[in-house]
Amino acid sequence: MSDAGSPWRLDGFPRAIAHFDGDAFFTSVEQALDPSLRGRPVVTGKERGIIACASYEAKALGIRRGVPLWEARRRCPDLVVLPSDYETYSLFSKRMFDIARRFTPMVEEHSIDEGFADFTGLRRLRRGDYAGAARELQQAIRDELGLTVSVGLSLSKTLAKLASKFRKPAGFTAVEGRHLHLFLARRELADVWGFGPNTVALLQKFGVRSPLDFARRPMEWVRRLLGKTGVEIWSELRGDAVYPLEVEPKSAYLTISKGQTFTSPSTDPDYVYARLVRNAESAFIKLRRHRLRARAMVAVLCRHHYERRAAGARLNRATSAIHEAVPLLRPLFEAVYESGASYRATMVILQELENDAEEQPDLFEDRLRIERMRAASRAMDVVRELYGKHRLALGTSLYLPRHPKTDRDEKPWRRTHLLGGETERRRIGIPMLRWPV
Amino acid sequence: MSRRLSWEEKLRRLREFCRRERRLPGYREAMALMQFSSSNAVFGMFARLAREGFVHKGPGGKLSPTGRLTGSVRLLGAVAAGFPSPAEEELADILSLDEFLIRRPEATFLLTVSGDSMIEAGIHPGDLVLVERGASPRNRDIVVAQVDDEWTLKYFVRDRDGVRLEPANRKYPPIRPRRSLTIGGVVRAVIRKYS
Repeated sequence: MSDAGSPWRLDGFPRAIAHFDGDAFFTSVEQALDPSLRGRPVVTGKERGIIACASYEAKALGIRRGVPLWEARRRCPDLVVLPSDYETYSLFSKRMFDIARRFTPMVEEHSIDEGFADFTGLRRLRRGDYAGAARELQQAIRDELGLTVSVGLSLSKTLAKLASKFRKPAGFTAVEGRHLHLFLARRELADVWGFGPNTVALLQKFGVRSPLDFARRPMEWVRRLLGKTGVEIWSELRGDAVYPLEVEPKSAYLTISKGQTFTSPSTDPDYVYARLVRNAESAFIKLRRHRLRARAMVAVLCRHHYERRAAGARLNRATSAIHEAVPLLRPLFEAVYESGASYRATMVILQELENDAEEQPDLFEDRLRIERMRAASRAMDVVRELYGKHRLALGTSLYLPRHPKTDRDEKPWRRTHLLGGETERRRIGIPMLRWPV
Repeated sequence: MSRRLSWEEKLRRLREFCRRERRLPGYREAMALMQFSSSNAVFGMFARLAREGFVHKGPGGKLSPTGRLTGSVRLLGAVAAGFPSPAEEELADILSLDEFLIRRPEATFLLTVSGDSMIEAGIHPGDLVLVERGASPRNRDIVVAQVDDEWTLKYFVRDRDGVRLEPANRKYPPIRPRRSLTIGGVVRAVIRKYS
């Protein structure tokens, strides 16, 4: 390890930003609910055939996210393979952020299993230091949810994220201003948030070996090499926070996307197209639920080997009715579909969203047709409320059952253990323990 | 630069605060909650809340949340011109069944009971209990515990010799942990639904 040299700042925590990151979040949730899974190698993702999350016991056996299930089973015959239960994971996620908001209102829900909390100024409210408050948050999540998070505490989001990765699982790493140089010397460039393989390769070409080397370069040098984004990361690493916490809940969607991986790959164009249409239906349901309308739509097809092709188009007016959008879907599909190729997933992305409440008058619109489509959407929503999602669907969905069902279509435990009064579509929003008492 | 929050977002935050604290935020708290930079903005917000029937201005100007804010009376319908209806005024201080049964929403879980060790305490096989994790049990609380690697539902009793787990069923003896005791959670309520 190179000598870290002298510090460039001598302060403690001018800003105190914590990054908390769930350790193997999905499998930890499963293990928190079902004690028989504790200490065993567990993975989720049964329904996709690919591992979505691997418990630390499974990771110890070299099994990690993205590995195909057959390969994981070959490596570990005792592997517990579970179908993903995103509903329950989301309930835990929401609780994790609710707990964080008991400490500070400045909480960013970065993804389902990680977030940022700005503790700056809390020293005055709470006796004790920032590290104490961050540890308290970590402990509360452990006590109340029964799972661990790794926490990094430092002067910026980038530093906090780098610190939370330093010790895992259940790690705690606090890096104050005067110790930044020591910490950055011990990290790899590839660990830095925002540095992809290309950036790392470029930096190494210029003799930058560690995040510390990078942080010690002059700003002008960084700007010439990596531009504005590079300077932002450089400032963040030097302890000058540039990125604000996004504390707004993600209610204002910039885009809505719906995608699903097939249970097994398909070469059948009718089936692939039907899945694409089904995703469009789901996306429009979500769109209407948030009272939005979309002006643009993208169709994505994923090949067997993760290769993606996409095509997009603008609608002639923003709409919340699937019937207005679906005639566009066919040409988009034709543009990206290659016959004979094996597909494993489709996705529909709705873009240029706007509020559906405001009228959009247009002299050239066919009012009657539009009103009919709106009525059809309303009818579909009513049927969905009463009988469940996709009970009333577009004709292409007739191609959906054509695909053979596999054992991977297995449902998560919670969906097969409904309480009296719960339905396939609606369950009580409280996670259910599986403790044998 | 602080961004302005939408009215819906303000309501959402206020509701969350009320649910958590069972009260309205003070001026300073509201400033932090809403990212206001002046207390005047808080005054303006509360004025609008009162106008639209989300808070009630009592004698001496004391503010209290109404059911419209706490969300329990949505079925009563929209209030014309923002004046709360007499029914809504009366319903200002009601609890939802969730709030009645759950003290800490973040830490509370459902659990189906299969055994009969607490049957004399009215917990039958098949009943649902609401378990609060991370709570320290008080004497004679009903707890879910792991005793010497065995899960059990019992009264938590602290006596001269330490901790004893006592069933509410004459068929079973009390248990005294020998090697280990882990409290999984404290039972706060039992639910039995008749179909």
